[in-house]
Amino acid sequence: MAIFTSMVYQNEFLADGSTDVNAIVRISCSEAGTAGQTGVGDVGEIVIVDTSASMGLVNLQAAKDAAMVAVDTILDGTYFAIVAGNHRPYLAYPRVTSGPGMVRMNPTSRAEAKRAIGSFRADGGTAMGSWLLLARSLFRSIPSLVGKHAILLTDGENHNESVPQLDASIRQCLGEFQADCRGIGVEWQVSEIRKIAQALLGTVDVIPSPRELPRVFHDLIARSMSRGVPDAQLRIWAPQGAQTLFVRQVSPTVEDLTHRAMPINPLTNAYPTGAWGDESRDYHISIRLAAKAVGTEQLAARVQLATGPSILTQGLVKAKWSADPGLTAQISAEVAHYTGQTELAAAIQEGLAAHSSGDDVTATQRLGRAVQLATQSGNEEAASKLGRVVDIADAATGTVRLKRDIDKADEMALDTASTRTTRIRG
Amino acid sequence: MRTPRHDTPGVEWSPSTEATAPMGPDRSQPEPYPQTCPACGGELGIDGYCLTCGQKARSLREHYELEPVSWLAGVCDIGQLHARNEDALMCAAQGDRAVVVVCDGVTTSQDSDLASMAAAKAACQVLWTNNPQGLGTPASRASAVAAVITQAVAAANEAVIDQTDPASPNSAATTIALAVIDGSTAYCANVGDSRVYWLPDEGEPQQMTKDHSLAQDGMDLGTGRAEAESSAMAHTITKWLGRDATDISPNMATLDIDIAGWLLVCSDGLWNYVSEAADLRSTVVPLVADQPTARQLAARLVDWANRAGGHDNITVACARLQGHDCDD
Repeated sequence: MAIFTSMVYQNEFLADGSTDVNAIVRISCSEAGTAGQTGVGDVGEIVIVDTSASMGLVNLQAAKDAAMVAVDTILDGTYFAIVAGNHRPYLAYPRVTSGPGMVRMNPTSRAEAKRAIGSFRADGGTAMGSWLLLARSLFRSIPSLVGKHAILLTDGENHNESVPQLDASIRQCLGEFQADCRGIGVEWQVSEIRKIAQALLGTVDVIPSPRELPRVFHDLIARSMSRGVPDAQLRIWAPQGAQTLFVRQVSPTVEDLTHRAMPINPLTNAYPTGAWGDESRDYHISIRLAAKAVGTEQLAARVQLATGPSILTQGLVKAKWSADPGLTAQISAEVAHYTGQTELAAAIQEGLAAHSSGDDVTATQRLGRAVQLATQSGNEEAASKLGRVVDIADAATGTVRLKRDIDKADEMALDTASTRTTRIRG
Repeated sequence: MRTPRHDTPGVEWSPSTEATAPMGPDRSQPEPYPQTCPACGGELGIDGYCLTCGQKARSLREHYELEPVSWLAGVCDIGQLHARNEDALMCAAQGDRAVVVVCDGVTTSQDSDLASMAAAKAACQVLWTNNPQGLGTPASRASAVAAVITQAVAAANEAVIDQTDPASPNSAATTIALAVIDGSTAYCANVGDSRVYWLPDEGEPQQMTKDHSLAQDGMDLGTGRAEAESSAMAHTITKWLGRDATDISPNMATLDIDIAGWLLVCSDGLWNYVSEAADLRSTVVPLVADQPTARQLAARLVDWANRAGGHDNITVACARLQGHDCDD
């Protein structure tokens, strides 16, 4: 049985007249167990491989190898399916046209799936929305599934669907399954894939070389298999009259959850968090209260993690109004750190967007700020990836110059890494 | 002679687990809280925060009020500066008979909040269930009550020891002050520096108890009260209840009530700000101008001490007594 714990980092003291309470709540899970083997229900894995013409021989072969590794990594007993996508979605395995669209993994199905993967050919266009909708239907065809996870690999833009079409498909998949998305090469759009991954509570990353693809697929499936808690919700109670300014996951990645709120009762909202393994995640909660008299203590939020009706852990975010500036002036180090990490992610994404639209002044300014924030907070990954896009004159002040020839792959690597945060130092 | 009229029996209130815990005190139970939020009337969570407005309610250990009858009530309050309430108050009353016990756990000892509560409950139980009449004369009555008081103090001492973790190097300790009111007689006793005062409406107010403290020792040797009670060691008590107590024999005094007045049982959280009986009456006089109930007066005195700084936990029990010469 998984064990959840929570820690609250905040300065609960508010100056007279202050209204805003900020806190970092760290939720940790241990003894999560293995997906599908904790007695709460079955889990399903779907591997979605882009088989459009642009994949070409090299990338397609890498994708086939990777999909076979994924099939090897999926544990026996897990429901699975293989989807091959181009401008249309194809169920590559199991080869059924109706009824249950997924089968349990066993030595026979594993071998059959690999043969199906071996017959992939690169052909046609790209319509990722249709791939997602097929995956949704496949997951829905197995009613016993409590955990649903897909990995999606693409190499190009979503040419065969309009943006509203893709968005509509993503919306239909919200809450249906989780998807980790990977792009190979430099012809795909980070923002497009990130949109899918964020909506479906997954990760996004660039795969710089086809050789790395099998290892990436192995790691993604292995991590999914280690998530013994198939689905959990973050629940936030705030007092009557309070306003939830924002709810963000801030570690391991920055994900704004504010707009994902689902009301549980008039004072409690639930936010999806997907499956949990042995890990910890940090959330930044910001609540606006009516100011109270000095000396008053109240709760600003109850932050809970729940599976179904069960509350597994709870952190209390407090507010105490005080006249002592020595108490009220301090900002929690964790709150300050993650506020900086969130700004870092935004600065990178805004800088790269400005650069791609030709606004090099804004790009230089925003990426300079990003260098400054990454250096201050010890985010070495961001700092080193920024260093491949800008020449850094002075990291402390954020003085940078855009590199003359920016490698597209470096830009994409920086973009996909932008939401990954570091924990506070020390 | 007129006796106050009362019809409710003594309260049965249990703030924590029973006073027997062989492995030391049990803190596994959540603190009890009031039923509803004092701020908005909403439901309170088990952690004391209102489930509607979020405001933190004081636990019943931090602040509680007892009013077994209209003429006798008490308030036990955490004060302003202490992290927990180590004072305890128990009382019971019916007809013109009442028992009041105030205990003040020693802050420097372990689990003294649990110890003081256990002591107050144990002593109150013994005093309330034993109502000796003696041979009928006041003197034999007084000696019979004295025997019960000695028994009650011993029971309180046992309760403190039962609350003490056997492994504790810093065993729990508490004071005790008590009053047994029977018609127009009040039997008062104390161990340590919690006190009973008698404030008649007319005539000389008096402190009925005599502290076991270095300050009192100083006064006994001729030092003035102000000087003795402001010395660095003034609050060092020379007798207490607990595992390392060597002498738990209480000071006792009997009061014959011939005129109406207020009997106060309190901890030093009150008398720190007004020690002399005459000064205490000066403090009380404006608070009783509108003829408050006993509960109102106790609450006003606790508020007064809180406004004076509330440096320690504050417990005040007030009994409005009509003397046997009163005729109304």
